[in-house]
Amino acid sequence: MTSSGNAPGGFSFDNVIRNSMLQQKGYAPPTARKTGTTIAGVVFSGGVVLGADTRATSGPTVFEKNCQKIHYIADSIMCCGAGTAADTDATTQLISSQLALHSLATRRAPRVATALNMLKQMLFRYQGHISAALVLGGVDFHGPHLYTVYPHGSTDRLPYVTMGSGSLAAMAVFESKYKEDMTADEAKQLVYEGISAGIFNDLGSGGNVDLCIITKEGKELIRGYAKENERKYRRPAGYIFPHGATPVIAGSEQFKGPEKGFSVVAEVAPAQDTMDVSA
Amino acid sequence: MDPYGQEWMNAEHSMGTSIMAVAFDGGVVMGADSRTTTGAYIANRVSDKITPMTDKIYCCRSGSAADTQIISDYVRYYLSMHDIELGEDPDVDTAAKLFRELCYHNKGQLMAGIIVAGWDKHKGGQVFTIPLGGALVQQPFAIGGSGSSYIYGYCDSNFKEGMTKEECMEFVKNALSLAMARDGSSGGVVRLVVIDKDGSERKFFPGNKLPEFWMG
Amino acid sequence: MSILEYNGGCVIAMAGKDCVAIASDHRLGVQLTTVAMDATRIFPMHDKLYLGLTGLMTDITTLDQLFRFRLEMYEMRENRKIKPKTFSNLVSSTLYGKRFGPYFSEPVIAGLDKDNKPFLCSMDLLGCIAEADDFAVAGTCAESLLGTCETFYRPNLEPEDLFETVSQSLLAALDRDCISGWGAVVHIITKDGVTTRELDGRMD
Repeated sequence: MTSSGNAPGGFSFDNVIRNSMLQQKGYAPPTARKTGTTIAGVVFSGGVVLGADTRATSGPTVFEKNCQKIHYIADSIMCCGAGTAADTDATTQLISSQLALHSLATRRAPRVATALNMLKQMLFRYQGHISAALVLGGVDFHGPHLYTVYPHGSTDRLPYVTMGSGSLAAMAVFESKYKEDMTADEAKQLVYEGISAGIFNDLGSGGNVDLCIITKEGKELIRGYAKENERKYRRPAGYIFPHGATPVIAGSEQFKGPEKGFSVVAEVAPAQDTMDVSA
Repeated sequence: MDPYGQEWMNAEHSMGTSIMAVAFDGGVVMGADSRTTTGAYIANRVSDKITPMTDKIYCCRSGSAADTQIISDYVRYYLSMHDIELGEDPDVDTAAKLFRELCYHNKGQLMAGIIVAGWDKHKGGQVFTIPLGGALVQQPFAIGGSGSSYIYGYCDSNFKEGMTKEECMEFVKNALSLAMARDGSSGGVVRLVVIDKDGSERKFFPGNKLPEFWMG
Repeated sequence: MSILEYNGGCVIAMAGKDCVAIASDHRLGVQLTTVAMDATRIFPMHDKLYLGLTGLMTDITTLDQLFRFRLEMYEMRENRKIKPKTFSNLVSSTLYGKRFGPYFSEPVIAGLDKDNKPFLCSMDLLGCIAEADDFAVAGTCAESLLGTCETFYRPNLEPEDLFETVSQSLLAALDRDCISGWGAVVHIITKDGVTTRELDGRMD
């Protein structure tokens, strides 16, 4: 039953021939949702700060104004994602799950370098076709770590990093203001300024600033650390439509009550009657 | 191109590079610039392109960052296994042959030009170069990467047999500085690694402390 | 032209107070030629979970069958109804499994969870989930729908108010899309059951 999707694993290429036929006939393949993004990270003494904007786009349309681009990998490892949204979501979820199993098998807390190797080996295997550009940060038993991972599987280790279409704006801020041995508050401020530069100067980035601070004591994810692009005015009472305003085709209304189905988890079998053997 | 797409999504992370290694009596000197680019953007200005394989064998990487990192990871893994089986430090030519094997058998899919160098107790300091197609050539010195084409003449006229360790370091530093000055995709700092029977030592020269030649 | 616009059509879902609405148009076309005015793109998965599919109708049909199959397998194995959140992950991983040869369909999922709290999400054709607590849209007039929802939506609407708001949001957007329309259907999902109404929309 491979075609209906119960395949043992990996991608299915069932539709590829049909889709390329459609493409040859002039039907452009649709655009997937992307995160034209600003993501960044900074190492400070004792931890890392990760940051991201919150805009997801499909072509020129903003499809999500407040999406979460800082993904969970492990309790003290997080990963910011830029690129095709489905790829960053699926890749980080997959590595998170593999890392949890690895951690159970080895009975050790997961390390950032392990997550990094899993990510780079997977992305390298797909030769850049999975467009996930990541900023991986976390704290493990060796201390704080910060890496970037490119879609082709190459990685860099640096004290301050940026990624995504707004990376140039954010890097400009980092290059001028980064200092060694910053405090957590200084690092937070720096990452906030970097992401903010991306939000205001890169059209692909926008919305709020999300931050995540990871130290060996734990992590703190701050959704909406800065909300500088809220809607300024909403009609106070909203729009109220009187009942019956919308024309409904007469007699079309149907009501369907809940079906009597098996919504319970376990049912107790009724006591067995003695079998009727008379007739 | 899609006006909303990003260049870095398609551009491969690559190292338009200047790398080099020179053997002297009793060891090798290896050197590299530190620039990693995606298209016209410098993704990393302080990259480390001199990657350890064992304590006394290093490689200089040029070409695609992803390809050379993965190849190095594999060779490092194979050499550590080999080390355990052998019970002693692997030879430099073993490391070079492992690189050759990976580069040759996957040449259609890889962009990797690698210089392998190091010291072993059988043959002392050695330098091997593995260019794009997967050949393996031992040389008294090797240069590689996009920046190397600017310094073939300099290296040929300034290399002398039997240089001391210090002379080799000066030679590498000068050659790389010249390459970085002319090649747009090389730059940043100069990193050196000196390997001899006692192990390895790193040297770092920031971009503003490099030897200057004619600047026009 | 994108293949997602070949047949036309759109879906909208909106959250209310302990209720949720999902609605779509009825047109099925081949580019600018209308071939049917009774197309279905909203599929009940169970009493409190509806799936809307936009995009290429052949893939909509295939996906409906595939998800119903997967759902029944799940219900038989687990002996319980699927949670909306779980179902959205099922849809997402099914679509992402075809990352390099996708189905040309963007789903919208609307349902009530076990506390009858609304669950809403939309996805792109690769299965990237975008969970929302107000409204979710997809289809050829998604941009217009986002605009109408952005102005008309109010939090915590009662079922009857939600019906009016979702219908007006949909009808207003349909007026600016020539490959969607020809009537519409609205489902209001509450804890007591589902009310379905056919809207008397424009036929041009």
